[in-house]
Amino acid sequence: MTARRLALLAALWLPVLGLAAARAGEPREQVDFFEGKIRPALVTHCYSCHSAGAKKVRGGLRLDTRDLARKGGDTGPAVVPGDPAKSLLLQALRYGDLKMPPDRKLPDAVVKDFETWIKSGAADPRESVAAAPPPAPLDAEAGKRFWAFQPPQSHPAPAVRDGANALRKIDAFLLARLEQAGVEPAPPADRRTLLRRVTFDLTGLPPTPAEAEAFVNDPAPDAYEKCVERLLARPAYGERWARFWLDVARYAEDQAHIVGDDKSLTYPNAYLYRDWVIKALNDDVPYDRFVTLQLAADLVESPASPNLPALGFVGLGPKYYDRGRLAVMAEEWEDRVDVVGRGLLGLTVACARCHDHKYDPIKTEDYYGLAGVFASTKLYNRPLAGAKGTEDAKQPKDAMHVVREGTPTDLAVFLRGDVNSKGAVVPRHFVSVLSDTSAKPFRQGSGRRELAAAVTDRHNPLTARVIVNRVWAAYFGRGLVATPANFGALGERPTHPELLDDLAVRFMDGGWSLKSLHREIVLSAAYRRSSSTEYSVRSTQTDPQNLLLAHMPRRRLGVEAWRDAVLAASGRLSRAVGGQSLDPLDPKEARRTVYSRVSRLELNRLLALFDFPDPNVTADRRVETTTPLQKMFVLNSPFMVAQAEALAGRLAAEVPGDDGRRIDAAYRLLYGRAPGDAETRLGREFLSRGADRKARWPQYAHVLLAANEMMFVD
Amino acid sequence: MTESLTRREMLRRSGLGFGLLGLAGAMQSNGLLAAEAGAARAPHFTPKAKRVIFLFMNGGPSHVDTFDPKPGLKQREGQKPSGEPDRKAKAGFVPSPFAFRAHGKSGVVMSELFPNLARRADDLCVLRSMHTDVPNHEPGLVLMHSGTQQPTRPSMGSWVSYGLGSENENLPGYVVLAPRRPVVGPHLWSSSFLPGAHQGMAVTTTDMRVEKLVANLNHPTLDRAKQREQLDLLGSLNRLHLENRARDAALESQIRAMETAFRMQTTAAEAFDVGREPAGAREMYGTSLFGQACLLARRLSERGVRFVQVYYLAPGDNQPWDTHADNDNRHRKLCADSDRATAALLTDLKQRGLLDETLVVWGGEFGRTPYAQPATKGAHGRDHHHTGFSMVLAGGGVKGGMMYGATDEVGMHAVENRVHVHDLHATILHLLGIDHERLTYRFSGRDYRLTDVHGRVVRDVIA
Repeated sequence: MTARRLALLAALWLPVLGLAAARAGEPREQVDFFEGKIRPALVTHCYSCHSAGAKKVRGGLRLDTRDLARKGGDTGPAVVPGDPAKSLLLQALRYGDLKMPPDRKLPDAVVKDFETWIKSGAADPRESVAAAPPPAPLDAEAGKRFWAFQPPQSHPAPAVRDGANALRKIDAFLLARLEQAGVEPAPPADRRTLLRRVTFDLTGLPPTPAEAEAFVNDPAPDAYEKCVERLLARPAYGERWARFWLDVARYAEDQAHIVGDDKSLTYPNAYLYRDWVIKALNDDVPYDRFVTLQLAADLVESPASPNLPALGFVGLGPKYYDRGRLAVMAEEWEDRVDVVGRGLLGLTVACARCHDHKYDPIKTEDYYGLAGVFASTKLYNRPLAGAKGTEDAKQPKDAMHVVREGTPTDLAVFLRGDVNSKGAVVPRHFVSVLSDTSAKPFRQGSGRRELAAAVTDRHNPLTARVIVNRVWAAYFGRGLVATPANFGALGERPTHPELLDDLAVRFMDGGWSLKSLHREIVLSAAYRRSSSTEYSVRSTQTDPQNLLLAHMPRRRLGVEAWRDAVLAASGRLSRAVGGQSLDPLDPKEARRTVYSRVSRLELNRLLALFDFPDPNVTADRRVETTTPLQKMFVLNSPFMVAQAEALAGRLAAEVPGDDGRRIDAAYRLLYGRAPGDAETRLGREFLSRGADRKARWPQYAHVLLAANEMMFVD
Repeated sequence: MTESLTRREMLRRSGLGFGLLGLAGAMQSNGLLAAEAGAARAPHFTPKAKRVIFLFMNGGPSHVDTFDPKPGLKQREGQKPSGEPDRKAKAGFVPSPFAFRAHGKSGVVMSELFPNLARRADDLCVLRSMHTDVPNHEPGLVLMHSGTQQPTRPSMGSWVSYGLGSENENLPGYVVLAPRRPVVGPHLWSSSFLPGAHQGMAVTTTDMRVEKLVANLNHPTLDRAKQREQLDLLGSLNRLHLENRARDAALESQIRAMETAFRMQTTAAEAFDVGREPAGAREMYGTSLFGQACLLARRLSERGVRFVQVYYLAPGDNQPWDTHADNDNRHRKLCADSDRATAALLTDLKQRGLLDETLVVWGGEFGRTPYAQPATKGAHGRDHHHTGFSMVLAGGGVKGGMMYGATDEVGMHAVENRVHVHDLHATILHLLGIDHERLTYRFSGRDYRLTDVHGRVVRDVIA
């Protein structure tokens, strides 16, 4: 007999067992009434969602035993014997605020039967034969045992045999694991490759041919260290890394819905936030302060502070259609909680909006404790000049996003996320599992300042780990934790836990300096290794995903670095830092791609084509896709045709002599190296074919710009 | 760690939610498969439909003037409905001026506004008991497209493209045809957190010349032979680059995409060119923007585009079916155009033997009130209405000649066999061979699906 049939039989027998178990004191005729009228209706109309046999029990309510029906679900007791008015089951059947069954109201006669039954004491012979065990309590203290909620510890560098290869402390951790696995790391990359790699990584731009020659020929033992310092000091460093942060901050300049021509919810001066991020990174503002300013600059700075645009992290978030309605504001608060949760803490706090988190020790109360902070915060636009007005800007083009204290408001938990079902009021507070003691209520205004302090607290186990991991992922193609925005139970476990922790602790000890973190990574032997897999057959066999980092991964440039590199090659790249947003598709537009207008309504076609993340939500990482439509852009777009012509013109103007010399110059300009013999031969052949010799150069230049080498970094 | 272990790791995750199909996408996004969106993927079970064409009547057509006859409105003309806000229902019920009649062998009923579609009655499945959550365009549109009212989730077309891949790797899997931007706009075809390759390719259909329809379709100056020469050189250089790099799969996939792009220039130029249709076909669909877009939809669908969305918009109006005033005359005009094109599409698909495997959906974000909305000047209109309205399905494995569900006697509320938007989504996915509860994508710590925690397949309408 199959399990299924057994279950079926059991179900058939249950009523009989139930009857047998009828309790003394329940009048026979009332039990009969239940069996004749009530139980069949429950089985037919309710059990599919409200019984042990339901695929998924809805609303926390089960109606298949007496006790569970009386206990009720998320909204309260379903059956209160003798009191129809308090019995939510009856209210739902009557189609009041609650409406059950959801697809159609039951006939009046049946509803009347339920009323009669409850009035007469709700006789119910069903014992709790199938009661499921209650879910494990989500106790913050118990939950703290999970690795991510333990404070990170520093670790001594493990002993390794190949000490000469351990240039930095992180190398020791990586080498220990490689040696353990018996995998030989790849040798260092050659100087040209390394320079192209580190220049793209630190500035998002290729090195110039002159820089390449100087570096390759620099005899100084610290040539590389000096080069890294020079790159870190360039404004291009901030432009490069701002974009990583803007992905996290779901930076955009408008809304996904715009009703008619109503521009009141758009952010024409959002670029001020972007410029602030660039400058803050260039100034190496410590990360804890960097975050604090973005959450609460209005509370920690003077009214005239140049740091107020930092509030764009909160103030440039999505605003939804018909805002002001509670249900809509609840959606907006979720956005703010999510950008703090996944963006800063690597924790899916927003999952706890409708129910306690299913996997992590985060309660609904934690969610509403944070949502209350944003419910107590006002966001609006204000004219840039005359900083006094508090109303929405009349002229949106003059407006800047303002974040200001509202009326401090503690929210009631919305049961199952439904704004019409309010539970207990929760004081505003930080996520309990991340708090040192049980989370203290926030008392100052909205609580944003206390929130910022809690996020950046030295004892918060996640903030430093999360940012260190994000930066690591940008270099190595994968984080030490492969899910950068989810360090919870459903996220990945760290591949090198001690390394992650040690890096996080040193990051905090060193004053939260991002530049120091970059330095630590790019000066490591691991970062300097060749990306070739040919050195270690064993590595590709035993570690095909390269989790041990025996070699550097080959990486594809993101759309920003790729477009910038094309502009750098054509000679058109403008180095103007900051300013209003631009259209990166415009062939005449020469500023860097980081300055692109980012729209939630209609993302720029170029950005959308090349895997730019959806700016409606904080991005955990970029997904890479390879599509023919991308290549049609590369082959045919006015932008690329214009750059090819500019490149050809530039070579003609700057390089006297024959095709061979120009081919050589082109390779150095685009790829940072000299062409091989075969490459030169192919180029010469192409250029010498065809009637119109003069037209060949732009065509050839276009091929070089379209090549894989332009888009990948070894 | 070995390759098989890696796959096992993936399968472990699949147990946590990646559906069978989603797995392909998941492996792609993890770089385990070459990230090419083109490849077709296996459905959950044998599909009835391979493709979808969704004809969207922006603004919301009036069900009581089209597919849901309500003689009861005549008796109760001028009466105010109960439970509606007074300010909204000032003018009371108003009957439809249009005659309704049963058509075909099956007797599917529709108003006189659909003389052409009437001849296809036995192919139609009219859902008379649709309902949605709100009577406002923006959230209604977003819900109908993505299963939620907030613009934060992937559209149905993106889900289908993600779940099933493309049937023709030389064309995109999801194409959106519209003469201008509809209300809400591009979010309606957004892939949101799904990989970008699954977002709808938006095509503006005001100018049907093929080079105007598809961006970057051709090089501005080079002819095909010259570009082939370029591509040959590019191929040689890319292969030299590849040889020194241990045949890196990511590089190979770039090389393949480049060749596909070159082919797509020809395939797309052909596929998007309605000028290649005989004059008779163009005439049959009508020369209106919508008619020509329906013809283009058939060409794309026929060539394997998985999901084609056609928006009914007018050059000066991004929701023409929103008839707050002059409802009757405007429906007369709109239906004449929509009827002709829709009927032509069904006839054309049937003649080509494609109707059985192509699901055609007709409808808007909601219906219109059975009571009148007084207009400041001119004839009355009808307001937004979400608790009962009609949609029409045809082909793709649905029962033809069927009327399913019912609204009450005045067309206010769906009362019998109610079909929510989530149920419609579940049913469309089911027809495509997809279990709506298993097509999931792990994002931000949980598994998302088109129907969220809702949706019920309406099995009664499946052939």
